[in-house]
Amino acid sequence: MKIKQAIVLTLVFGFVGGQPFQAGAAESSATVSAAQKEGKLVLYSSTDSASVEPLLQDFKSLYPFLQVEYNDLNTTELYNRFVAETAAGSGAADLLWSSAMDLQLQLASKGNALTYASPEIAGLPKWAVWQNQAYGTTFEPVSIAYNKRLLPADAVPQSHADLIRVIKEKPDLFKEKIASFDPEKSGVGFLMMTQDAKVFPQFWDLAKAFGSSGAKLYTSTGAMLEKVGSGEHYLAYNIIGSYVLLRQKKDPSMGLVLPKDYTLVFSRVAFIAKAARNPNAAKLFLDYMLSKRGQTVMSEKSLVYSLRSDVPGNITAAGLTKELGKALKPIDVNTDILAGLEQNKRLEFMKQWQAALKR
Amino acid sequence: MNRALRSLAVIGVALVVFGPLGLIFYQSFLSEAFFFPTAHFSFGAYRYVLADSGFHSAFGTSLLVSLGMTLISVPLGSLLAFLLARTDLPGKKWLEPWLLVPIFLSPVVLAFGYVVAVGPVGFFSLWAKALIGRVPWNLYSLFGLVLIAGLTHVPHAFLYVSSALRSLDPAVEEAARVAGAGPWRIAVTVSLPLVLPSILFSASLIFLLGFELFGLPLVLGDPAGLLVLTTYLYKLTNLLGVPSYHLMAVVALSIVALTFPLVYLQRRMLRTAGRFAVIGGKGQAFRPLPLGVLRWPAVFLLVLWLAVTVLVPLVGVALRSLVSSWGEGIKLSEVLTLDHFRELTGYPNLVRGIVNTFLIGGIGGALSVAFYAIVALGSHRWQSRWVSFLDYLVMVPRALPGLIVGLAFLWVFLFFKPIAPLRTTLFSLWIAYTVVWLAYGLRLISASLLQVKPELEEAARVTGAPQGEVFRYVTLPLIRFGLIGSWLLIFMMFVREYSTGVYLLGPGTEVIGSLIVSLWGTGALDLIAALSVIEVALVGVVLFIALRVGVRLDA
Repeated sequence: MKIKQAIVLTLVFGFVGGQPFQAGAAESSATVSAAQKEGKLVLYSSTDSASVEPLLQDFKSLYPFLQVEYNDLNTTELYNRFVAETAAGSGAADLLWSSAMDLQLQLASKGNALTYASPEIAGLPKWAVWQNQAYGTTFEPVSIAYNKRLLPADAVPQSHADLIRVIKEKPDLFKEKIASFDPEKSGVGFLMMTQDAKVFPQFWDLAKAFGSSGAKLYTSTGAMLEKVGSGEHYLAYNIIGSYVLLRQKKDPSMGLVLPKDYTLVFSRVAFIAKAARNPNAAKLFLDYMLSKRGQTVMSEKSLVYSLRSDVPGNITAAGLTKELGKALKPIDVNTDILAGLEQNKRLEFMKQWQAALKR
Repeated sequence: MNRALRSLAVIGVALVVFGPLGLIFYQSFLSEAFFFPTAHFSFGAYRYVLADSGFHSAFGTSLLVSLGMTLISVPLGSLLAFLLARTDLPGKKWLEPWLLVPIFLSPVVLAFGYVVAVGPVGFFSLWAKALIGRVPWNLYSLFGLVLIAGLTHVPHAFLYVSSALRSLDPAVEEAARVAGAGPWRIAVTVSLPLVLPSILFSASLIFLLGFELFGLPLVLGDPAGLLVLTTYLYKLTNLLGVPSYHLMAVVALSIVALTFPLVYLQRRMLRTAGRFAVIGGKGQAFRPLPLGVLRWPAVFLLVLWLAVTVLVPLVGVALRSLVSSWGEGIKLSEVLTLDHFRELTGYPNLVRGIVNTFLIGGIGGALSVAFYAIVALGSHRWQSRWVSFLDYLVMVPRALPGLIVGLAFLWVFLFFKPIAPLRTTLFSLWIAYTVVWLAYGLRLISASLLQVKPELEEAARVTGAPQGEVFRYVTLPLIRFGLIGSWLLIFMMFVREYSTGVYLLGPGTEVIGSLIVSLWGTGALDLIAALSVIEVALVGVVLFIALRVGVRLDA
């Protein structure tokens, strides 16, 4: 009730005695009142409107004076739009939140991000913050989705090495039944596979196993999950766990494996645009997303694995750590991943991938 | 008046086409995005793309797909047009509206409908498997892609050819009939040759649409590893990690380059255009040709086409909207649900998306028809080099893949400051749609214009009416039904169009297409299916009402 009262008071008086909100306690009153003057917040995001709805509702209940404009774009669209708008000097986005980690860091490293030390930094792992500009916001395991109805229990892989083994042992069962990202067409797919190649010495054996089983390659998670659900494929490799959870709500035959040997952890990256028209509103949103309250909503309502270790539950970093411990391999939010954008390395990887896939 | 109209037509079209095209052309000669300060002049993009074996094979596949689908859709569409426009085919009033479904249904949804119906574990495939032990077809193949692309583009050919056929003087067919020719012979040797201009035009349009296909190859070609030019563009987007506009521009221009020989060929074949001037007729009563024994085979052909092209994917989409899961090992009776429709009603911006779609289709469509009418009137009965210039020009926007056109329009509205304020309104979307469907719309209107016999306009002129009044009081009233029919067709094109506007949409200007893409991202195909069912129902109602109040699609 305190929150509600605070909101009512805020509506009437602007803010109350320098301590306007219980929940956003970390916020300085200066930021809040400046944000109030801005009155508006423009978000460019690759998280779909339906999943983000609970988060936005809760944020708006904290800061009802902000009018939030949510642009739901895919990662490439988001990048294309932002660079063109920035170059034209009509940048509209205040905060960018995208699952294309590499593109986000590329933009930040080229000076498009505002430096802002969020008061929530203390609650975040070190690898999730880059130069107080780019922030990892989620802790999403890269998983294997499979069809419980059709894939026999003994053929469900528990690790990456296991996956190679079951494909080799049951070539008929897996023939054309494996789906994965096409690293040549999907940036996210490319990022995950290059990380795989770093962490997992047998990655190229896995690629060869994919090739020999006639794996099908896709550009979207949605198409893969739909086809795993229908049994056109039995198993999809490198699917972000959050999407599998969303799917499980509707389809009881959708299974999720977090590989025991190592599980890549992927994080949606947010930064405030340097040219933001409403930088203070953007700060409030960034802080909210990283706060315990925001992260809890993310985990409980949006079914997106949250990043902070102090949020309890299963769909959280804490839950995953309990289950997998050291096997979790977060993809660091820093410019190391930009190596993947280097043309020669990229082409070389693609060539190797092509060669491995050929039977 | 006439002169003003003509200059307006040429200048207007040139501006809206050269704006985006010019930017793409400029971009192709740079080393990176034209708006980056580090961009410099370079042939590098040409060198890379033209030497890339991926480009060659994608171009080859696209060429094959385009040719294949043209060869399927144009003869079949012409034949269906003849059957529906000129013969006593039973039940044609009921069958005609169904013909149009592939026009307004999003290709991704259409393709996905096929996956659910006849994919490896589709409803029909599993029945076939239960019956004969295997699935006798393979949806994910070049053949499957060409066949489906061809069949779903039959309506495009049908519309042009049937509108030309309706204005054909029935006396020529009557003469052939009296001389003892059967319906088949009349169609092939008399009626269809007389409407060759429309057939050729639809052929070149469909050929270009083949290069621009995206949804069908994405859903049906990707699993088979088929790469066409538009999916190759996807690869280019990702090749260097960041989207490489200069490479994409070169690919787009390679398709634009195709329009020149295409339009040239079309013009050359029609050089003796006088031959086709049988159009007119002095108000003879039209009597449909009796099909005789061919009646039922003809009905069978039409119903078969409808079943494969409309029924199968629609059943797929409709079923998907009603089940929680599908495929191998699923009992249909156990998974039926209305949840997806319920969930959809709670989806943010749903109503606004639907309303906007109908706004842009209805009001935007009407405005576009007005613009097309002005341009068509401007070049009407005008023997000039400028008209051939227009012929080439209007084809260009349709040759640009949606992925690129969308970007080009974003750039135009960003960097051309006088129109920049329009960018975040539905108006920018309208301009983009109007430009992209220029060739299509213009041709619809000029087809109606050609039906007006010159005598009528001359009569008005002789009595002293200036050109403006001739248009206003004679020409326009005479083609009003043609205009309304075109409006309905443009409405359907705009309802479906999406990729062109992808960068111009934002909160407040959502359309059904953008909702579908947003849902596609999370894999909510159940909601997409439900949304598409609603879309088909709504457009169906509009179609039904329109046809009831006497709108003719081929007037």
